[in-house]
Amino acid sequence: MAAAGRDMTFVVTDNCIRCKYMDCVEVCPVDCFYEGDNMLVINPDECIDCGVCEPECPAEAIFPDTQPGLEDWVRLNGQYAAVWPNITIKRESPADAKAFDGVANKLEQYFSANPGQGD
Amino acid sequence: MTSAHAKLGHVSEDGIKLLVDGFYAKVRRDPELAPIFLRAIPGDWGPHLNKMYAFWSSVMLTTGRYKGNPVIKHMAIPNIQPALFARWLELFNETSAELFDEAVSAEFQAKAARIAESLQLALFYRPDRPWPPLAAT
Repeated sequence: MAAAGRDMTFVVTDNCIRCKYMDCVEVCPVDCFYEGDNMLVINPDECIDCGVCEPECPAEAIFPDTQPGLEDWVRLNGQYAAVWPNITIKRESPADAKAFDGVANKLEQYFSANPGQGD
Repeated sequence: MTSAHAKLGHVSEDGIKLLVDGFYAKVRRDPELAPIFLRAIPGDWGPHLNKMYAFWSSVMLTTGRYKGNPVIKHMAIPNIQPALFARWLELFNETSAELFDEAVSAEFQAKAARIAESLQLALFYRPDRPWPPLAAT
Protein backbone atom coordinates (compact mmCIF):
# COMPACT_ATOMS: atom_id res chain seq x y z
CA MET A 1 0.00 0.00 0.00
CA ALA A 2 1.52 3.26 -1.09
CA ALA A 3 0.79 6.41 0.88
CA ALA A 4 -1.50 4.67 3.35
CA GLY A 5 -4.01 7.11 4.72
CA ARG A 6 -2.93 9.92 2.45
CA ASP A 7 -4.15 8.88 -0.95
CA MET A 8 -6.64 11.46 -2.04
CA THR A 9 -9.35 9.14 -3.11
CA PHE A 10 -13.01 8.39 -3.28
CA VAL A 11 -14.48 5.57 -1.22
CA VAL A 12 -17.47 3.29 -1.55
CA THR A 13 -19.60 3.17 1.59
CA ASP A 14 -22.46 1.35 3.30
CA ASN A 15 -25.27 1.89 0.83
CA CYS A 16 -23.46 0.00 -1.93
CA ILE A 17 -23.90 -3.24 0.01
CA ARG A 18 -26.52 -5.44 -1.69
CA CYS A 19 -27.33 -2.62 -4.14
CA LYS A 20 -24.18 -2.92 -6.27
CA TYR A 21 -25.57 -1.01 -9.24
CA MET A 22 -22.09 -0.85 -10.89
CA ASP A 23 -22.71 2.34 -12.89
CA CYS A 24 -19.43 3.64 -11.45
CA VAL A 25 -17.25 1.03 -13.16
CA GLU A 26 -18.23 2.17 -16.64
CA VAL A 27 -17.21 5.79 -16.11
CA CYS A 28 -14.05 5.31 -14.05
CA PRO A 29 -11.12 6.40 -16.24
CA VAL A 30 -8.59 4.39 -14.27
CA ASP A 31 -10.49 1.12 -13.72
CA CYS A 32 -10.01 1.22 -9.98
CA PHE A 33 -13.16 -0.61 -8.83
CA TYR A 34 -12.92 -4.08 -7.29
CA GLU A 35 -15.84 -6.41 -6.84
CA GLY A 36 -16.94 -8.22 -3.73
CA ASP A 37 -19.83 -10.62 -3.44
CA ASN A 38 -22.27 -7.83 -2.63
CA MET A 39 -20.45 -4.50 -2.89
CA LEU A 40 -17.69 -2.72 -4.79
CA VAL A 41 -14.65 -0.93 -3.42
CA ILE A 42 -12.17 1.60 -4.82
CA ASN A 43 -8.45 0.95 -4.83
CA PRO A 44 -7.02 4.05 -3.14
CA ASP A 45 -3.65 3.54 -4.83
CA GLU A 46 -5.19 3.74 -8.29
CA CYS A 47 -7.96 6.33 -7.77
CA ILE A 48 -6.91 9.73 -9.12
CA ASP A 49 -9.65 11.63 -7.31
CA CYS A 50 -11.32 12.78 -10.51
CA GLY A 51 -14.75 12.47 -8.89
CA VAL A 52 -16.47 11.13 -12.00
CA CYS A 53 -17.99 8.16 -10.15
CA GLU A 54 -19.59 10.09 -7.30
CA PRO A 55 -22.66 11.46 -9.11
CA GLU A 56 -23.02 8.28 -11.18
CA CYS A 57 -23.84 6.14 -8.15
CA PRO A 58 -27.62 5.63 -7.98
CA ALA A 59 -27.26 4.63 -4.32
CA GLU A 60 -25.19 7.73 -3.49
CA ALA A 61 -22.68 5.49 -1.78
CA ILE A 62 -19.47 7.14 -3.06
CA PHE A 63 -17.79 9.97 -1.16
CA PRO A 64 -14.44 11.77 -1.15
CA ASP A 65 -12.20 10.56 1.68
CA THR A 66 -11.84 14.15 2.82
CA GLN A 67 -15.30 13.87 4.29
CA PRO A 68 -15.02 13.28 8.05
CA GLY A 69 -15.99 9.95 9.58
CA LEU A 70 -15.07 7.74 6.64
CA GLU A 71 -11.80 6.36 8.05
CA ASP A 72 -13.18 2.83 8.48
CA TRP A 73 -14.50 2.86 4.93
CA VAL A 74 -11.17 4.08 3.58
CA ARG A 75 -9.51 1.14 5.32
CA LEU A 76 -12.13 -1.33 4.10
CA ASN A 77 -11.81 -0.11 0.51
CA GLY A 78 -8.03 -0.47 0.58
CA GLN A 79 -8.12 -3.85 2.28
CA TYR A 80 -10.56 -5.51 -0.10
CA ALA A 81 -9.30 -3.80 -3.28
CA ALA A 82 -6.14 -5.80 -2.67
CA VAL A 83 -7.95 -9.16 -2.74
CA TRP A 84 -11.14 -8.78 -4.80
CA PRO A 85 -11.12 -8.96 -8.62
CA ASN A 86 -11.11 -5.86 -10.81
CA ILE A 87 -14.41 -4.88 -12.43
CA THR A 88 -14.70 -2.55 -15.42
CA ILE A 89 -17.86 -3.81 -17.11
CA LYS A 90 -21.27 -3.27 -15.56
CA ARG A 91 -23.55 -6.26 -15.18
CA GLU A 92 -27.15 -6.64 -14.01
CA SER A 93 -27.50 -5.37 -10.43
CA PRO A 94 -29.07 -7.74 -7.87
CA ALA A 95 -32.79 -8.30 -8.40
CA ASP A 96 -33.53 -6.98 -4.90
CA ALA A 97 -31.15 -4.00 -5.15
CA LYS A 98 -33.96 -1.46 -4.90
CA ALA A 99 -35.30 -3.03 -1.71
CA PHE A 100 -31.90 -2.58 -0.04
CA ASP A 101 -31.29 0.95 -1.27
CA GLY A 102 -31.34 3.17 1.80
CA VAL A 103 -31.41 0.42 4.45
CA ALA A 104 -29.29 1.48 7.45
CA ASN A 105 -26.19 -0.27 8.83
CA LYS A 106 -25.78 -2.75 6.02
CA LEU A 107 -22.14 -3.39 6.89
CA GLU A 108 -23.00 -5.19 10.13
CA GLN A 109 -25.96 -7.07 8.73
CA TYR A 110 -25.06 -7.98 5.18
CA PHE A 111 -21.41 -7.35 4.28
CA SER A 112 -19.71 -10.31 2.62
CA ALA A 113 -15.93 -10.57 2.47
CA ASN A 114 -16.16 -13.03 -0.40
CA PRO A 115 -14.88 -11.89 -3.79
CA GLY A 116 -17.26 -11.14 -6.64
CA GLN A 117 -16.85 -12.57 -10.12
CA GLY A 118 -15.04 -9.56 -11.65
CA ASP A 119 -14.90 -8.99 -15.41
CA MET B 1 -8.73 35.07 -30.94
CA THR B 2 -9.56 34.97 -27.28
CA SER B 3 -11.97 37.87 -26.89
CA ALA B 4 -14.52 37.31 -24.12
CA HIS B 5 -17.49 36.64 -26.38
CA ALA B 6 -15.60 33.98 -28.33
CA LYS B 7 -14.98 31.82 -25.27
CA LEU B 8 -16.66 28.46 -25.05
CA GLY B 9 -19.48 28.24 -22.52
CA HIS B 10 -19.83 24.47 -22.34
CA VAL B 11 -17.70 21.34 -22.41
CA SER B 12 -17.67 19.36 -25.66
CA GLU B 13 -15.37 16.88 -27.39
CA ASP B 14 -14.33 19.68 -29.78
CA GLY B 15 -13.55 22.02 -26.90
CA ILE B 16 -11.51 19.32 -25.19
CA LYS B 17 -9.51 18.77 -28.37
CA LEU B 18 -8.74 22.50 -28.60
CA LEU B 19 -7.71 22.56 -24.94
CA VAL B 20 -5.44 19.52 -25.20
CA ASP B 21 -3.83 20.71 -28.44
CA GLY B 22 -3.28 24.22 -27.08
CA PHE B 23 -1.97 22.97 -23.78
CA TYR B 24 0.57 20.54 -25.24
CA ALA B 25 1.73 23.17 -27.73
CA LYS B 26 2.65 25.27 -24.67
CA VAL B 27 4.22 22.28 -22.93
CA ARG B 28 6.48 21.63 -25.88
CA ARG B 29 7.72 25.22 -25.75
CA ASP B 30 8.16 25.30 -21.99
CA PRO B 31 11.75 25.20 -20.70
CA GLU B 32 10.77 23.20 -17.59
CA LEU B 33 8.29 20.73 -19.03
CA ALA B 34 9.49 20.24 -22.60
CA PRO B 35 12.54 18.11 -21.71
CA ILE B 36 10.43 15.79 -19.53
CA PHE B 37 7.70 15.34 -22.11
CA LEU B 38 10.01 15.07 -25.11
CA ARG B 39 11.93 12.33 -23.35
CA ALA B 40 8.71 10.47 -22.50
CA ILE B 41 7.28 11.00 -26.01
CA PRO B 42 10.24 11.15 -28.36
CA GLY B 43 8.37 10.50 -31.60
CA ASP B 44 4.82 10.94 -32.83
CA TRP B 45 2.61 12.89 -30.42
CA GLY B 46 -0.60 11.68 -32.11
CA PRO B 47 -1.21 8.71 -29.79
CA HIS B 48 -0.54 10.80 -26.66
CA LEU B 49 -2.91 13.55 -27.78
CA ASN B 50 -5.61 11.01 -28.61
CA LYS B 51 -5.17 9.49 -25.16
CA MET B 52 -5.50 12.93 -23.56
CA TYR B 53 -8.67 13.75 -25.54
CA ALA B 54 -10.10 10.48 -24.21
CA PHE B 55 -8.90 11.21 -20.67
CA TRP B 56 -10.51 14.64 -20.47
CA SER B 57 -13.61 13.34 -22.20
CA SER B 58 -13.89 10.69 -19.46
CA VAL B 59 -13.32 13.22 -16.70
CA MET B 60 -15.49 16.09 -17.98
CA LEU B 61 -18.14 14.29 -20.01
CA THR B 62 -18.12 10.92 -18.16
CA THR B 63 -17.83 9.04 -21.45
CA GLY B 64 -15.55 6.32 -20.08
CA ARG B 65 -13.41 6.71 -23.23
CA TYR B 66 -10.09 6.66 -21.39
CA LYS B 67 -8.90 3.54 -19.67
CA GLY B 68 -5.46 3.52 -18.12
CA ASN B 69 -3.30 3.77 -15.04
CA PRO B 70 -1.81 7.26 -14.85
CA VAL B 71 -0.16 6.63 -11.48
CA ILE B 72 2.08 3.92 -12.97
CA LYS B 73 2.80 6.05 -16.05
CA HIS B 74 3.98 8.95 -13.90
CA MET B 75 6.05 6.70 -11.65
CA ALA B 76 8.04 5.67 -14.70
CA ILE B 77 9.22 9.24 -15.38
CA PRO B 78 12.79 9.83 -14.17
CA ASN B 79 13.32 12.87 -11.94
CA ILE B 80 9.65 13.67 -11.64
CA GLN B 81 9.11 16.29 -8.93
CA PRO B 82 6.34 18.43 -7.42
CA ALA B 83 7.53 21.65 -9.11
CA LEU B 84 6.76 20.08 -12.48
CA PHE B 85 3.16 19.49 -11.43
CA ALA B 86 2.89 23.14 -10.38
CA ARG B 87 4.19 24.28 -13.75
CA TRP B 88 1.89 21.83 -15.54
CA LEU B 89 -1.09 23.31 -13.69
CA GLU B 90 0.00 26.87 -14.51
CA LEU B 91 0.02 26.13 -18.23
CA PHE B 92 -3.18 24.12 -18.05
CA ASN B 93 -4.98 26.91 -16.19
CA GLU B 94 -3.68 29.46 -18.66
CA THR B 95 -4.89 27.42 -21.65
CA SER B 96 -8.31 26.66 -20.18
CA ALA B 97 -8.85 30.33 -19.28
CA GLU B 98 -8.01 31.35 -22.84
CA LEU B 99 -10.50 28.91 -24.35
CA PHE B 100 -13.44 28.64 -21.98
CA ASP B 101 -15.54 31.11 -20.06
CA GLU B 102 -14.92 31.51 -16.36
CA ALA B 103 -17.36 28.85 -15.13
CA VAL B 104 -16.20 26.14 -17.53
CA SER B 105 -12.51 26.87 -17.15
CA ALA B 106 -12.99 26.73 -13.37
CA GLU B 107 -14.46 23.23 -13.75
CA PHE B 108 -11.46 22.07 -15.76
CA GLN B 109 -9.04 23.69 -13.35
CA ALA B 110 -10.69 22.15 -10.29
CA LYS B 111 -10.47 18.67 -11.81
CA ALA B 112 -6.87 19.20 -12.90
CA ALA B 113 -5.84 20.43 -9.46
CA ARG B 114 -7.41 17.44 -7.70
CA ILE B 115 -5.92 14.93 -10.08
CA ALA B 116 -2.51 16.59 -9.80
CA GLU B 117 -2.73 16.47 -6.00
CA SER B 118 -3.76 12.83 -6.08
CA LEU B 119 -0.93 11.86 -8.44
CA GLN B 120 1.56 13.75 -6.30
CA LEU B 121 0.38 11.98 -3.15
CA ALA B 122 0.78 8.66 -4.92
CA LEU B 123 4.26 9.59 -6.12
CA PHE B 124 5.78 11.62 -3.32
CA TYR B 125 3.92 11.13 -0.05
CA ARG B 126 5.86 9.43 2.74
CA PRO B 127 4.24 8.90 6.12
CA ASP B 128 7.32 10.21 7.93
CA ARG B 129 7.58 13.49 6.01
CA PRO B 130 5.45 16.62 5.96
CA TRP B 131 2.80 17.12 3.28
CA PRO B 132 2.78 19.12 1.10
CA PRO B 133 6.52 18.67 0.54
CA LEU B 134 8.62 21.74 1.20
CA ALA B 135 9.60 23.46 -2.02
CA ALA B 136 13.16 22.68 -3.02
CA THR B 137 15.32 25.77 -2.85
